[in-house]
Amino acid sequence: MASNPMQQFTVHKIGPEIKIGGLDLSFTNASLFMVISTSVILFFLFLGSKEKKIIPNKIQLIAEMFYTFVAKMISDTAGSKAKPFFPFIFSLFMFVLSCNMIGMLPYSFTVTSHIIVTLILALFIFIAVTVIGFIKHGFKYLSIFVPSGVPAILLPLITIIEIISYLSRPVSLSVRLFANMMAGHTMLKVFGGFVVSLGLLGGWLPLSFSVALTGLEILVAFLQAYVFAILTCIYLNDALNLHH
Amino acid sequence: MRKYLGLLITLIVMNTDLFAAEAGMPQLDPTYWASQAFWLILVFTILYISISKFYLPKIKNNLDDRENKIKEDLENANKFKEQSDAKLKEYESILENAKKEVSKIHFESKNILDKDIQSKKKIIEKEIEEEIQKAQKEIAEIKKNSVTSIQSISENIASNIIEKISGDKLNESSIKATVNDISKQKIGKYL
Repeated sequence: MASNPMQQFTVHKIGPEIKIGGLDLSFTNASLFMVISTSVILFFLFLGSKEKKIIPNKIQLIAEMFYTFVAKMISDTAGSKAKPFFPFIFSLFMFVLSCNMIGMLPYSFTVTSHIIVTLILALFIFIAVTVIGFIKHGFKYLSIFVPSGVPAILLPLITIIEIISYLSRPVSLSVRLFANMMAGHTMLKVFGGFVVSLGLLGGWLPLSFSVALTGLEILVAFLQAYVFAILTCIYLNDALNLHH
Repeated sequence: MRKYLGLLITLIVMNTDLFAAEAGMPQLDPTYWASQAFWLILVFTILYISISKFYLPKIKNNLDDRENKIKEDLENANKFKEQSDAKLKEYESILENAKKEVSKIHFESKNILDKDIQSKKKIIEKEIEEEIQKAQKEIAEIKKNSVTSIQSISENIASNIIEKISGDKLNESSIKATVNDISKQKIGKYL
């Protein structure tokens, strides 16, 4: 059981079975860790905003740092028009970051290592961005597929490539996060397994790898949350400020 | 790198055993997909609403308050600086005026003193002159007196000498005349 590195990704039911309209909506360990991640964020933000201090305490400072970090990220990539979407991007970034980080704890479950979770987030972003684009620019939004300054002969080809790249956005967005998280955790598990199987004599090498990988994974956890959020900003920028 | 590794694993699993969670990836087992989707949407909606309705406005308020406070403080500091600059200018001008006044007073008092000294000097000089004149007069008088007294003394001496030498008393009037005559000739030498 411990030798199977994919074991950690299994979803199992916690509590009673909930079935609505033939769909199994039972509370699982994945749901549990979603709730935990969200609670952590909300508790952190609660602590960070409960006292109104001119000179902030540590938690308030960190919360405000996250705020300014995401605000700067949005204004840098998508401009001032993206301001109404700030709460969404902020929630998205915090949620992905919290899920990734909590997944780094031993015996925990990484919510974002499941393709279905990341795919739903990415599909929601993709559909929302497309809808926003059509609302803002009408059918002119389709000009996103026709880049300016391209020779007429190449135009059909470029347009097809643009359409494919646009449609593959949700896939690349979701698979990037999911694959990073899954691969990292699998690797950690594999090296952990080596430590056990090689024992006291040879286990030190994979152990040191494990330690280094843990540091790397924490970096990746942050980086992937950042990438997820900033790509959302870039897609949003395409929809809000139509220019090519 | 890892992205492609993940993709590779996905593809391998997809090709071999798509829905077998035991053998491959539990992620591709659709048993709990609906559940995960449902809970994700539920939890994320709650997170989004509470963040956008409660926490972000609060943090934004805090940040805005701080920024306003800093701006206000900076403005106040500028105001105070201007005030202090104005006060400094005022102080400097007062100091300048005072310096001018001091030099003026100095000059005036010097003038007054000079005048005073001058007038007093004049008065004193006058007095001295008068004194000198008086003294000169006195001297002249004394000189005059001395001439007559010298003449009478010399007459006496002469008569006495003649008496002692000759034993005769000479005529007083002739002695007087002789002494007078000699003294008239020689007196200029001594006076």
